[in-house]
Amino acid sequence: MTRTLGLRWSVAATAVTLIYLIPVYWMLATSLKPLDQIFASPPRLVPIPATVASYTEVVFADPDVVRGLLNSAIIAVGTTVLTLLVAVPAAFALARLRIRFVAPVLMLFLVVQMIPSINLALPMFVIFNRAGLVDSFAGLIIANGALAVPLAVVILRPYFLTVPGEVLDAARVDGCTTFGAFLRIATPMSVPGLVTVAVITFLQAWGEFVFGLALATDEAMQPISVVLAGLNNAFGTRWNDVMAVSVVVALPVVLAFVFLQRFIVAGLTEGATKS
Amino acid sequence: MTTVTSARPARPVHRASSRPRGRRRGLHNYLFLAPAVVFVAGTVLYPLGFNLVQGFQSVGLAEIVNGGARFVGLDNYRDQFTRGEFWHSFGISLLYTAVAVALSVGGGLGLALLFNLPLRGRDQLRALMLLAWLLPTVVSANVWRWLLDGSHGLVNAALSAVGLIDGDVFWLARPDAALVAVTVATAWTLAPFAMILLLAGLQGIPGTLYEAARIDGARPVQQLRWITLPLLRPVTLATLLLCFIYTFKTFDTVFLMTGGGPGGATQTLPIYAYEQAFTFFDFDVAAVATTVLLAVPVMLSLAYFRSLRGEDRR
Repeated sequence: MTRTLGLRWSVAATAVTLIYLIPVYWMLATSLKPLDQIFASPPRLVPIPATVASYTEVVFADPDVVRGLLNSAIIAVGTTVLTLLVAVPAAFALARLRIRFVAPVLMLFLVVQMIPSINLALPMFVIFNRAGLVDSFAGLIIANGALAVPLAVVILRPYFLTVPGEVLDAARVDGCTTFGAFLRIATPMSVPGLVTVAVITFLQAWGEFVFGLALATDEAMQPISVVLAGLNNAFGTRWNDVMAVSVVVALPVVLAFVFLQRFIVAGLTEGATKS
Repeated sequence: MTTVTSARPARPVHRASSRPRGRRRGLHNYLFLAPAVVFVAGTVLYPLGFNLVQGFQSVGLAEIVNGGARFVGLDNYRDQFTRGEFWHSFGISLLYTAVAVALSVGGGLGLALLFNLPLRGRDQLRALMLLAWLLPTVVSANVWRWLLDGSHGLVNAALSAVGLIDGDVFWLARPDAALVAVTVATAWTLAPFAMILLLAGLQGIPGTLYEAARIDGARPVQQLRWITLPLLRPVTLATLLLCFIYTFKTFDTVFLMTGGGPGGATQTLPIYAYEQAFTFFDFDVAAVATTVLLAVPVMLSLAYFRSLRGEDRR
C-alpha cells in the first residue's frame, strides 16, 4: 500500500495505542500518589502533587521487597550465564558443524517450549526436595534454565548461520581448532544474537513466577515476583506501594525495550513463545 | 511455528554456504552440542517423565519426603476422570482459553490491519503496543487487580461515569464476573503478540495483488475479504495455535488475580494441579492434571501439522 493516507488514520492509531496502554499509565500514576489520593472519588487521573514516597519508603526500604529484588537479580543473572554457556556452543554446532540429528534436536528444542512451567515445577519440587535444591539459587537457576536453554538455541542458530562457512574454512587453513574458530570468529560475529538471547533470558527469569512459587518455599529465597504477589495481602489497600514495586519489576523490561527494541522484537518473533 | 517464522521477511542468510562445515567429521563436534542436550534431557525430559510416572503411583507427603511410592496403575486417572471437580477445571480452562484466544486473535487482527497502514510513527506505535505483552505477568496481573478494584478501581469509575454501572462492582469477587475479568486481562497481554505474528503475515502478502484488485475496481472491504483474509489464513491458524498453547497453560495471571476463586469460578487446570500438589500434597492427582494439561495442546499441534501436510498435498 503505497498510497499515503490522511492524518486521520495516524491519529486513530495513536489514540488506540494510548488507550490500550492506560493500564501501564495507571500503574505509574498510582505509584506516584500519596495514600489518601488512592481513595479519591472520582479517581484523580494525574497524580498532583506527586510523591516518590512509595519508592523511597517501600521499594528501597521494605526488607522483603529489597531481598526479593536482590534474589531475582541473582536468579536472572545466573540463568543468563548458564543459558549462554550451554546454548551458544550448541547453536554453533547445530548451525555450522558437521553433525547428525540436527533436525530432531532442533525439533525437540522447539517443541519443549510449549511445555507448561507447572508441568516442570511440580516434579522438580519432588526431585529437588530429595537433592536438597529446594530453596536454593542453584535450584531456581536450573529450573529457569530448563525452558530458557532450548529457546536460546532456537533463537541463536540463525545468527550462526549468517557466519559464512568460508570464514571458518579460512580459520581452519590458518591452523585454528574448531573451538578456536567458534570462540574467536563465529561468536564475535554473532554478538547481536548473543545480546538478544541474554536480554530475553534475563527478562524471562526476572519476571518468572511459577518456579519461584513452587521451588522457593522459604521467604528468604523468594524472587520479587512472588514477593509482589504476597504484597497484595500484606499491604492491603496500599495500592500506591504495590504499584511502585510493580513499576520497578517492570523497569528492566522497559529499559531493554527502549534501548534494545530492534533485537528483542526480532528475537521474540523467532522464538514465538513466552513461557 | 515454522510457518510463522518463514512468513516474516527473512533475515539475510548466506544460503550459498548453508552446508554445515566442520573441520572434519569427528566426535568432538558433538561436544559442542552435548551440554545443551544433556541439560534439556535432565531438566525437561526427566521431570516430565518423572511426572508421568507419578500419575501411576500413589504419591502423598510421606512419599515426597521418603520416596518409595507404590504403583497403582490407572487408579488416579479413573478417580480423576470420574470426579466433578476435575472436569469443572477442565471446562473452565477450555472456556477461558477459547474466549481469550478469540479476543486476542480477533483483536490482534484488527490491530495488525491498523498498524499495517502507512501511519506516522508506525514502528514506535507497534513497539509501544508490544509493551503490554512484554510486561512480566505478575505486573500486568497486579495492575489489572487494581484497575478492577471494587471500591477505588479505574474500571468502575469509568463505567459509572458513562452510566453503565451503578455503585461498586467487585469484579474479582463475583463468580459470574471473575472469569470475564481474568479473560480480558489475559487477552490484553496476548493481543499485541497476536498482532506481531499477524503483521508478519500481512507483510508477506504481495502488494501486486492489491494493485491488481484496485485496477479491477475492488474496494478496500472487498480486498480484505478476497485477498487479505484468505492469504492470511495459514498465519492466522498458526497464531491461533500458539495463543491456545500459551493461554491453556497460563497459571500466573489467574493465580494472581483470583487464586482460582471465587468458589472455583476461575479454577483452571493449572490452578487445580497446583492446589492438589501444594495444598493437599496429592502429587499423584496433580500429575494426572498436568499430564492432561500437556496432552491437549500436543494433540492440537499434531492435528495442526497433519492439516498442514494435507494442504500441501492438495
